[in-house]
Amino acid sequence: MRFYVFIASVFCCAFADSRKIRGISSSYKRFYRERKSFLCIDGSKLIPFEQVNDDYCDCEDGSDEPGTSACPRGRFYCTNLGFRPHYIPSSRVNDGICDCCDASDEYNSHIRCQKTCWNLGQRERAYVEGQMRTLDEGLRLKQQLIEEGVLLWREKQAQLRELQQKAEDLHLKVEEHKKRKHQADQHKEQTLKTLQAGGAGSRQHNNTASGLFQFLDNNKDGSITVDEVQARVVTIHDEKRLLSENEAVALLGGGRQMDLTMFRHTLWDTLTKGDNVKIRDTNAALDSPVVEDPLLMAADRAAKWEATNLKKVEEAYETVNMEISDLQQKLAIDYGTDWEFLFLNSQCYKLQVYEYTYTLCPFNQVTQENTAGTQVSLGTWGMWAGEPKNQYSQMVYENGEPCWQGGSRTATVTLTCGTETALRSVKEPSKCQYIMDFQTPVACQPVLKQRGIHSEL
Amino acid sequence: MASFTERMAFVLVMALCLSGALAVDRGNFKTCDQSAFCKRQRALKPGESPYRALLETMELTNTRLTLQLINDNNKVRLLLELYRLQGNITRVKINELKPLKPRFEVPDVLVREPPTEPLSLLSQDENGVVLSLGAESQRVIVSARPFRLDIMEGRDVLMSLNSRGLLAFEHLRMRKDTSQADSEAEKKEEVDPANPAETTKDEDDKDEDGMWEETFKSHTDGKPNGPSAISLDFSLPGVEHVYGIPEHAETLRLKTTDNGDPYRLYNLDVFQYELFNPMALYGAVPVMLAHNSQRTTGIFWLNAAETWVDISSNTAGKTVFGKMLDYVQGSSETPQTDVRWISESGIIDVFIMLGPTPKDVFSQYASLTGTQSFPPLSSLAYHQCRWNYNDQEDVKLVDAGFDEHDIPYDFIWLDIEHTDGKRYFTWDPHKFATPKEMLQGIMDKKRKMVAIVDPHIKVDSNYKIHNEIRSRGFYIKNKDGGDYEGWCWPGSAGYPDFTCADMRSWWASMFAYDQYGGSMENLYTWNDMNEPSVFNGPEVTMHKDAMHGAWEHRDVHNLYGFYVQMATAEGLIQRSGGVERPFVLTRAFFAGSQRYGAVWTGDNAAEWDHLKISIPMCLSLGLVGISFCGADVGGFFKSPSSELLVRWYQTGAYQPFFRAHAHLDTPRREPWLFGPENTALIREAVRQRYTLLPYWYLQFYQAHCTGQPVMRPLWVEYPQDPATFAIDDEFLIGTDLLVHPVTEEGARGVTAYLPGKNEVWFDVNTFQKHNGAQNLYIPVTMSSIPVFQRGGSIIPRKLRVRRSSTCMEHDPYTLFVALNPQRTAEGELYIDDGHTFNYEKKEFIHRKLFFANNILSSINLAPDAKFSTQSWIERVIILGASKPSKVTLQTADGQESQLEFEFDSSMSVLTLRKPGMNAGEDWKVMLQ
Repeated sequence: MRFYVFIASVFCCAFADSRKIRGISSSYKRFYRERKSFLCIDGSKLIPFEQVNDDYCDCEDGSDEPGTSACPRGRFYCTNLGFRPHYIPSSRVNDGICDCCDASDEYNSHIRCQKTCWNLGQRERAYVEGQMRTLDEGLRLKQQLIEEGVLLWREKQAQLRELQQKAEDLHLKVEEHKKRKHQADQHKEQTLKTLQAGGAGSRQHNNTASGLFQFLDNNKDGSITVDEVQARVVTIHDEKRLLSENEAVALLGGGRQMDLTMFRHTLWDTLTKGDNVKIRDTNAALDSPVVEDPLLMAADRAAKWEATNLKKVEEAYETVNMEISDLQQKLAIDYGTDWEFLFLNSQCYKLQVYEYTYTLCPFNQVTQENTAGTQVSLGTWGMWAGEPKNQYSQMVYENGEPCWQGGSRTATVTLTCGTETALRSVKEPSKCQYIMDFQTPVACQPVLKQRGIHSEL
Repeated sequence: MASFTERMAFVLVMALCLSGALAVDRGNFKTCDQSAFCKRQRALKPGESPYRALLETMELTNTRLTLQLINDNNKVRLLLELYRLQGNITRVKINELKPLKPRFEVPDVLVREPPTEPLSLLSQDENGVVLSLGAESQRVIVSARPFRLDIMEGRDVLMSLNSRGLLAFEHLRMRKDTSQADSEAEKKEEVDPANPAETTKDEDDKDEDGMWEETFKSHTDGKPNGPSAISLDFSLPGVEHVYGIPEHAETLRLKTTDNGDPYRLYNLDVFQYELFNPMALYGAVPVMLAHNSQRTTGIFWLNAAETWVDISSNTAGKTVFGKMLDYVQGSSETPQTDVRWISESGIIDVFIMLGPTPKDVFSQYASLTGTQSFPPLSSLAYHQCRWNYNDQEDVKLVDAGFDEHDIPYDFIWLDIEHTDGKRYFTWDPHKFATPKEMLQGIMDKKRKMVAIVDPHIKVDSNYKIHNEIRSRGFYIKNKDGGDYEGWCWPGSAGYPDFTCADMRSWWASMFAYDQYGGSMENLYTWNDMNEPSVFNGPEVTMHKDAMHGAWEHRDVHNLYGFYVQMATAEGLIQRSGGVERPFVLTRAFFAGSQRYGAVWTGDNAAEWDHLKISIPMCLSLGLVGISFCGADVGGFFKSPSSELLVRWYQTGAYQPFFRAHAHLDTPRREPWLFGPENTALIREAVRQRYTLLPYWYLQFYQAHCTGQPVMRPLWVEYPQDPATFAIDDEFLIGTDLLVHPVTEEGARGVTAYLPGKNEVWFDVNTFQKHNGAQNLYIPVTMSSIPVFQRGGSIIPRKLRVRRSSTCMEHDPYTLFVALNPQRTAEGELYIDDGHTFNYEKKEFIHRKLFFANNILSSINLAPDAKFSTQSWIERVIILGASKPSKVTLQTADGQESQLEFEFDSSMSVLTLRKPGMNAGEDWKVMLQ
């Protein structure tokens, strides 16, 4: 919208020799000073002054007939005292339709025009005042929204940083868990190997003290532990039963571990005598040395545990990364110079027009839903498409659902200044081309504000 | 509007899949081979006619000759009636002497029972009779065995009927497989005294496929009356050019049909029609004109059933060289065109219009079917249409857009979406909630609106119109006697029987302001889909065995649209108490439709060829009386390039009915949506139309008075110049404006033929003078519309182009006087109130403008008429003038005054400044 500044004309009596020339503005009066002849304003022709406004077009530029309809390219100046002055094409002079609110264009027609400038002026002033109030309020709200926007922006940035930090932490964790999983896997592998090797060579190794010791020393750390005893030594009477910890400790001579030297003198004898305990029947164990071997089972459990842990951490890492990329994508959108449009993100606005409900989710998508509940996409966020000097005045949503005759639906959203944020109108001027009017304080532009407008009216 | 439908959408998708191109689905429409009677009839080859005239049955009264014909193969007798009509027309009627039941004769098309002239017997012997056809030494020779008619003037045969023996008349008969009792009855019939001693030997009565039943696609046409086709051949010696029989997307000059289908006349809603093709379209006017440099004649075949027309020519195959050889050697036959008409039912009722000039044929045809209705002046201005303007707000914005861009328009149109669920006579309660408010807003700008009212009526017991039609029994019935229902825009729909006079008067009463809620005096009507279009019917139209009272749809099909427009126009007249002229646009039409309003060429496409064909299509319609013709500017289907759109506006601005229209699925195309340059080009084209409105109005007044076409082929005005005979890329408006629109993409120039040996033509833009009888190359730019004013003419214009034509009512005139080499010129000026029937009460001004001996004068052509105008003459521009020393105006009261003037010697243009006399008065301007 444009507002015209009305400059009061106070050229009173400045040109005593100038009779009233119909249809010109005061700034043009200088061309029409009464003389013998009149020079067309484009300088093309000199005509007698009587031929000015004589209802015959002499000048190519129409300047000799500012007050009649004679010239095809002429224009008539409505003074419209009390309202806005403006030009109308000469063809609207005396055409039976009132164009100027001061009725000056219909000075010679059958129609009687009401002089409506004062009313229009009042209405205009009221309107302008309303607009001004809206603008003031809008700008105030906009300032708030800008401030909120900045905060929101910062908040989002902080959120991003936080997420990035989290991601970094998770990354480290992932690495650590990877390592742990690797170790557990290796351990499992080794146990399995040992077991297989042990199963094959237990008999030969059992013949010497050191051989048996090595067999029992599952983890090859040079000492036999309670675990290791429990794993391989059983009572003669009940091969299936696992030795209790106390029994194992007793076998180890009351300690929790035993080295080879000690072994030679104590457990080796006990085992070779074979009165109470013996090495678990390896023949039976050979059938399923892996599954049933408690050591292997422990290693396997450990490996699985580590794998689960790694997966959890990886998932968490992925989630955070997605959140980051989402947020980055959102933050990459142009939310205006002051991030004033940021608050629209994640909001949706609805409007019902006849049988359809339209939903605009700014920076996301536009949809149309009919009364039967069928939803159709009218487009997803495309870009800002306003004119270069105010690119934030229009949004385009594109690639909506395809149309019957080819192409896809698009929605063009025009943003206008208002105190509330709401969808005001939806139109479909051509099939599948939607036009929406979206009102929001952030569309208010301080440049519109021209104080003192019409103050003279 | 549209033949697009849900069902059609499917068809289109199929078509797209098959061909990848947007074009008609030919499979939806019958070829001659698929139309049983056409196939049967076309199988008959020229030869000796089985018909014999029984001269002993001849009866000659003062005005009528009757004579029985007998078919020697089956002994069925026909009755020939021959009339000499006033104005050099011969009427030949042939019916069965004793038909089993009456055969349909077309009512309501002729404006009255044509007045006859005396016939007299010149001679008679056993071979035939010779009758005198009035004054012009014309005779008709009735030969007895075989029967034929030859119309002679002096020693020349003008036209022969049945000379190729193709007269055929499928008499009504009982079905063979009916009961014995019926056969007995038939036998009794045969010994009727009218057929004495002749036993019927039904040689050609053997049942053929399609005589009693015919299936096309999934539709079966039960034919309770059996075969009933008729056929007759006409030979035109000396004729190589035939025209007319619209509506076809075809060149002006008709082609021979030997190698394809005949031209078909059967009103059909053809989705995305193909060009240069004999397929039937929306309307049918069974009138053909034949022309050579000596004579123009016409054949009016008054039959409303499905009709096919075959054309053959003995010179058709010959090369120019071959023809030249014939000429040099003085050898060979004279050129001849043979025409054959075939109709499915009814009788043979043919009017032979004998010219001899094109103008005579137009008057002769007008004397039979009437002239173009005199339209309201505003309807000759620019119309803005679209399927659809969405709501009142949309209408308001488009209206304002024209003002903002300073482009005039007179009518804005609403297509089907304005209604409440495709219930005509209603408004969408949301989108058009306050129609009167909207109409008042338009009226405040002195503009008007057209809303669509189609003839298919939604079957809905909550719809007043439907309930009334049903309760009054006004619907067309199906063959079982129930109301016929078809599928159209509203879904299931009934079709009122417009052939019924009571139905028509009821329909007319529905346009009363208190019946048609929301209507006002500036709301006019558009009848679309009145072929009638039935989406689920055979060939997208009505089943032929549907019943209109006693008659089958088969008999009346081509009349349906004619009646719809008739009833609607009557409604618009009645609502104003008979004061206001109606404006009704129709898509379907028949002979006589010119009396009810305008037609358009239906659903064309935004393609250059469619722009080109708008010229021959409207020219062909003008030749058969329908002058108020136009094509959708911009093209209905698809989206035009801005170049095509501009060229289309430039062409449409010089065609009678000037309306932009667009399909629902196309992007918006109001004139200002293509950038400021194109807006300016379109504005200029529309403005040119508005400046010429006085000339257009005069043309329509003359068409209304005389039946001469408004938009004319060149040959009509230059009938002796064979170079004009096939031209259809340029045309005349009246006699004085020649238009060669640019219809080629990327054109840098056009070659226009300027006719007239001793004539000159003035470029209306540059005032450059060109000699006639030459092909003139004209370089063009995007702003060029090559238009020429004939030297010897005077054209009044109004140069103050305003928002609408009504705003220009009282504006002054500029007279463009284009001198011929003899330095004379003449023209006319017609003024009335522009919208009422008061001109019939002699309330008008009609003046002759005449320039000779350096005096331009205005002479009253209608001294008994009375009308006053505020309009005056503001300027006179004389083209081809020399510089005067003094210019004097003498007004009616004898007062003399000097006029100022300017002379441009480079172009020899003299401009008289502001003579100022009233346009309705006597005056003289003398150049010294």
